Amino acid sequence: MQDPDPRTLGRAREGDLGAFEDLVRMYQADVWRFAYHFTRDRSLAEDVTQEAFLRAFRFLRSFRGDSKFTSWLFRIARNCAMDAIRARKSHLAKEPPPTVGPPDPEARVELHAALEAVSDEHREPFLLIEVFGLSYQEAADVLHLRVGTVKSRMHRARHAMMSALAVEEDAGGL
Amino acid sequence: MDCERARRAISERMDGERLSHRLAAAVEGHVATCAGCAAFQRGAWTLREAARFEVAPAVPDLVEPIMAAVAREARERPPVRLRLLPGRRSAGPFLPRLSRRLAPVAAALVVGLVAGSLAAGGPWRGPERLPIAAADVTEGVARAASQLTAYQARFSVTEHHFGPDVPVRELSMNVWFRAPERFRLDVVDHTQYPTEDVTPTDLQLVANGSSWYSVGPSACPIGVCPRTETVVENRVPFSASTPTPTDLILPVATLADADQLEVLGEGTVLGRPAIEVRLPFERAKPLFPFLSLGGSWRPFFAGDRVDLWLDARSWFPLRYTVYPAPGRERDQWALRFGLPDESSRLPIFEVTTLSMSEQPPASSTFRIPETKRASDQGAAAVSLSDASKETGFRPIAPAEVEGLDLYQVVLPAPPVEEAEETKREETLITYSKGLTWLKLGETRRWKGNTLFGPVGLRAQEVALPNGGVAYYEPATPDHGRRLSIHAAGTDLYLETNLSRAELLRVAGSLPVTGMTLPKAWRVRTSPGGVTERASLERAAAELAFAALVPALEALPSGYTHASAELVRFKKTIALNVYFQQEEADFGAGPIRLHEEEAKKLPPASSAIQSEVEVRGVVGRWIPDRNQLEWVEDGVYYSLDAAELDLADLLALAESLQVYAAP
Repeated sequence: MQDPDPRTLGRAREGDLGAFEDLVRMYQADVWRFAYHFTRDRSLAEDVTQEAFLRAFRFLRSFRGDSKFTSWLFRIARNCAMDAIRARKSHLAKEPPPTVGPPDPEARVELHAALEAVSDEHREPFLLIEVFGLSYQEAADVLHLRVGTVKSRMHRARHAMMSALAVEEDAGGL
Repeated sequence: MDCERARRAISERMDGERLSHRLAAAVEGHVATCAGCAAFQRGAWTLREAARFEVAPAVPDLVEPIMAAVAREARERPPVRLRLLPGRRSAGPFLPRLSRRLAPVAAALVVGLVAGSLAAGGPWRGPERLPIAAADVTEGVARAASQLTAYQARFSVTEHHFGPDVPVRELSMNVWFRAPERFRLDVVDHTQYPTEDVTPTDLQLVANGSSWYSVGPSACPIGVCPRTETVVENRVPFSASTPTPTDLILPVATLADADQLEVLGEGTVLGRPAIEVRLPFERAKPLFPFLSLGGSWRPFFAGDRVDLWLDARSWFPLRYTVYPAPGRERDQWALRFGLPDESSRLPIFEVTTLSMSEQPPASSTFRIPETKRASDQGAAAVSLSDASKETGFRPIAPAEVEGLDLYQVVLPAPPVEEAEETKREETLITYSKGLTWLKLGETRRWKGNTLFGPVGLRAQEVALPNGGVAYYEPATPDHGRRLSIHAAGTDLYLETNLSRAELLRVAGSLPVTGMTLPKAWRVRTSPGGVTERASLERAAAELAFAALVPALEALPSGYTHASAELVRFKKTIALNVYFQQEEADFGAGPIRLHEEEAKKLPPASSAIQSEVEVRGVVGRWIPDRNQLEWVEDGVYYSLDAAELDLADLLALAESLQVYAAP
C-alpha cells in the first residue's frame, strides 16, 4: 500500500486539517474494509474507522516514521477493531445480536466463509498481505510480529485458506 | 528440499521476496517433480486471483463524519506544533529543502523563479477547463523551441517503489543549454540506501558541439554497479546515437502529436499560470531521458498516465507526475516486477522544477571532462566548397527550410566496410534554430539495396508537393522524423524535429523528383518465402480471398496506413498490412495485420494464451506478443502491436471490413 506524500503528512502533523482530510480521503476505504473483515458488521466497521482516524489525528505527532504511515494506521485500526469486538461481546451477553448490513455479493461469501474458518493467526497475515497488498515488513509492523513469523504464518495461511475453499491443492497437506 | 521449505519459498516469492539463485533453482527443481507443491503453487495463485479481484463490498464515504469529529477534537484540543529535529528522518538531504517549499525563495540569477504554493495544482483538484486546444499546445511548444537560445534549470525528482527496501528515492537534476548544440544534464542521487553496496544513480551527460560525454553506473540490479564513461569525438550534428535530450527543456517530441494529448485545463503551479496536459507514459518517454542514461530505476507501464504542467507563457515543463494506469492488465504486469499494489490516484514518479532561467550558462559549464579513451564518429566539418571538392558533387539544398539557419556542413565517415577507401561520398547539411534542427544527407553513389538514410522499407509512401514520392517514418527514440528520397542520379534523406507537415514542405522544395522503390528493393527472398512490398490495391487484387482492412477511424489515435506486402510461400499468398504513427513512436511500434487462407489457427507461438471472442468466433489472445488471432470464413487473421492492449486490438478487429479499391 502506497504511503502518502511526505509533504502532506508533514502538514497534517503540524495540524493542517486540509492535509489530514487528504489522508482520510486516501485511506478511509482501506481502513473501513480492514475493519469490516474483523468485525463482519458494516456499522461497527464505520465506528472503528472513525475512531481509528480520530486516534491517528491525536497521535500523529508521535508518529516518528520508523514504520510506514499505512502500517501505523492499520495498527491503530486493528487495535480499535479489537476494542470494538471486545465491547460488542460484553454487550451481546445482554442484547440480541445487532442487525448487520445488506448481504454481501455472492462472490465474496466464499472467501469470507473461508476467512472465518481459519484461525486468527492465519487470517490476519492473509488479509494484510493478500487482500491489502502489504509487504512482509509492513504486516509485521501492524501485527507486532517478527518478519520470519509472518513469512511462516503466511504460507500456512495459504494452505489453510485453500483447504477451506477447496481450491486445487495437495490433499495430503503439509 | 522438503515440501515445507519449498512451499514457504513459493509463498515468499509470490509476495515479492527475492530468493537467492540457489534457492530459486532448488524450488524450481522440487516443483518440477512434486505434484503436491506444484498444486500448492497453482492453488496459491488461484487464491490470489480470488482475493484481489473479488467483488469489493460497497465502502461507505466516511470523510465527512470523520472530519467533523476531527474538527471537534482540534477545537477542543488544538494540536501542539512540533519542531522537526534535524536528522530525525532518514529521508536524505533533499527532503528538508522540499518541506520548506512554502517559503519564498530568492535568487538573483534566476529569471523565471519558480517557488510557492503547490496547492492549486493537486491533480485531484480538477482545474477549470480551458478553451485551449491540444493543437495550440503542440504549436506553442514548437514555436517556443525555435526561439530558445539558452536555458538552465534545477529540478527535484522523486521516485516511489524503487525496491522493497527503498520505497522512495530523492534525486536532483540540473539542465543547461545553449543553442544549437551545447547541453548538459546532471542527475544526483540523494537517497540514503539501507545498505552500503548500492551504487547511487549519479549521471552526467555533456554535449559540446562535436564532442559528447556521458557517465553513470551501468544498469544492474541492486548491488555495486560499475561506472561507464563514454566520450565521442567528431560527432555527427544532432546525432541520434549521442543525443541531447532537450525535451527536458521544451517537450517538442513529447507533444508533437496533438491527437495524443489531452488538455486538462489551467491552474497555478509553483506560483505561475500553467496548463495541464495528460498523455500516456509510452508517449512521454522523451521527458525521462535519464531512465536510459544509466543507473537503476523502477519500471513503468506503457499506459501509466503522465500529467504534465507547462508554464503558460514559456511552455517550459513545471512539473510532471506519473500515475499508475488502473486495471487488471497493469496489476498483472506489476506482479511480474514484484511491485506493491499501486493506487492509480497516487504518484509513482514526480519531477518538479525548482528554478529556471533563460540566462546563458557559462561556456565552462559544457567542458568535456578529460578521459583517456574516446571513440570517433569521424564526421568532418567543412565548407560547402570543400565538401564539393571531396565528394565530387555539389549537394542540393531545399528552397524552404522553415526559417532555420544553416548550421554546419559535414562529411560523415564512410561505412566501416569501406574504411580503406578514404574518399567520402556523402554530404550532410544541417540547419538549426533554437532547439529545432534539420539534417539533409545526400549521396550520388548509393549502392545499397534499400532506402538511403535511417528509413526502413516499410516506411509510409508519401506524395510530395512537387509531384515526387518519398518514404516517411515518424520520430522514434533513436531518430527524428525522417524521410528518404530515391531520385534519378541521387539519393537523399531528411531528418528533423520539425513536424511532419513541415518536413514534407521542406522535402517538396528540393529540386529533385522522388521515384517509387525499384523492384530490386521491393522484392526480398528469404526461407519464409518471397516478400514483395506492394500497394494495398495491387496486393488485395492478388489474393484469392477478399482482404479485410480496419476502418481508419478505428485505428488508435495518431495511427495511419503505412505499407502493405505480399508474402508468397509455396502455393499460399498472404497479406501483411502495416499501420504506423504519423508523428512520433516511442515504443508502441507499428500495428501489423496478417491475412492468409487457413482452416484453423496455427500452433500457438507462446505458452501463455487465452481464448477470446472476436467477430463472433473464438480467437486466441497471446499477451506476451500482444497478438490477437482468429479464423473467419477460411482465412486466418492476426493483429499485433508492441504495446496495444487486448481492448484496442479487439476494437480494431471489429472494425475490419472488405477492402474496396479507390
